[in-house]
Amino acid sequence: MFVYEKKLQYPVHIKNPNPAMAKYIISQYGGPDGELSASLRYLSQRYSMPYPELKAVLTDIGVEELGHLEIVGTVVHQLTRNMTVEQVEKQGFQDYFVDHTAGVYAQAAAGFPYSAATFQVKGDVIADLAEDMGADGTTWKGQHSHK
Amino acid sequence: MSDKDTCTYKEGPLPSCAPLAVPMLAAQQRSEPAYESVDALTKGTLFPGLDLPFMDYVASGPVEASPLTELMALDFVCQELALYLDTHPGDAEAFKKWKSFKALAKEGRKRYVEICGPVTRGETAMFDSWVWPEDPWPWNGRKAGKK
Repeated sequence: MFVYEKKLQYPVHIKNPNPAMAKYIISQYGGPDGELSASLRYLSQRYSMPYPELKAVLTDIGVEELGHLEIVGTVVHQLTRNMTVEQVEKQGFQDYFVDHTAGVYAQAAAGFPYSAATFQVKGDVIADLAEDMGADGTTWKGQHSHK
Repeated sequence: MSDKDTCTYKEGPLPSCAPLAVPMLAAQQRSEPAYESVDALTKGTLFPGLDLPFMDYVASGPVEASPLTELMALDFVCQELALYLDTHPGDAEAFKKWKSFKALAKEGRKRYVEICGPVTRGETAMFDSWVWPEDPWPWNGRKAGKK
């Protein structure tokens, strides 16, 4: 069961439209390592998790990732909500705009729609944790490669 | 019993029962030092030991102070402590800290709800009419914008 909280986990206030940036950010919404992928990954893997502590972790982070999904959706919304036709054309947003206008659609930066094929659930703790490290490792690598 | 009797893996150069690979991440230490609540929200983690900015990008400053961001900060600390407690359920000091932050967050929430409206749908019961649908919704930002 889930209870919605009518607030973001972190504030988002974007003044100026920037569809060019929205084209990148959308991947964090519905792309292969995006927040939707992350929440479904954890919330689905938990059923075969045998350890109580880790059932709790997978549940709690799976839910938190849904909160992150809402933050990213908000960023895309605010980057595109008041954009002009000129901005759509000059910033290369036409291909997204033709199908979704200023809607927030779960897709990767390259345009393919969200797919559960971007993550794995194996019913095996080691396989699932390795999968989680692969997904979150993309972030981890970014954090460490510049240290 | 020898390995041969219990092992169902095929023979090979690896020890007969060895899994193909074992992923490993360093476990979080007990009694980690912690940031102040607003700092934690800005940095995206309560724990300095887990503060690994993406590509060395450091968030520019504390978020603007308001009843909402105060609530966000307190809720974030509660969330971070909860995730820590999931894997360290025996840490009595952390549990005590979580309880005290939970009490602060409850106060902060009460202040926020009185000024800005319900955060959960259930909190609408504190009002005289069904105010739940009222703008702004979280993605609207500070101003609902001219529609």
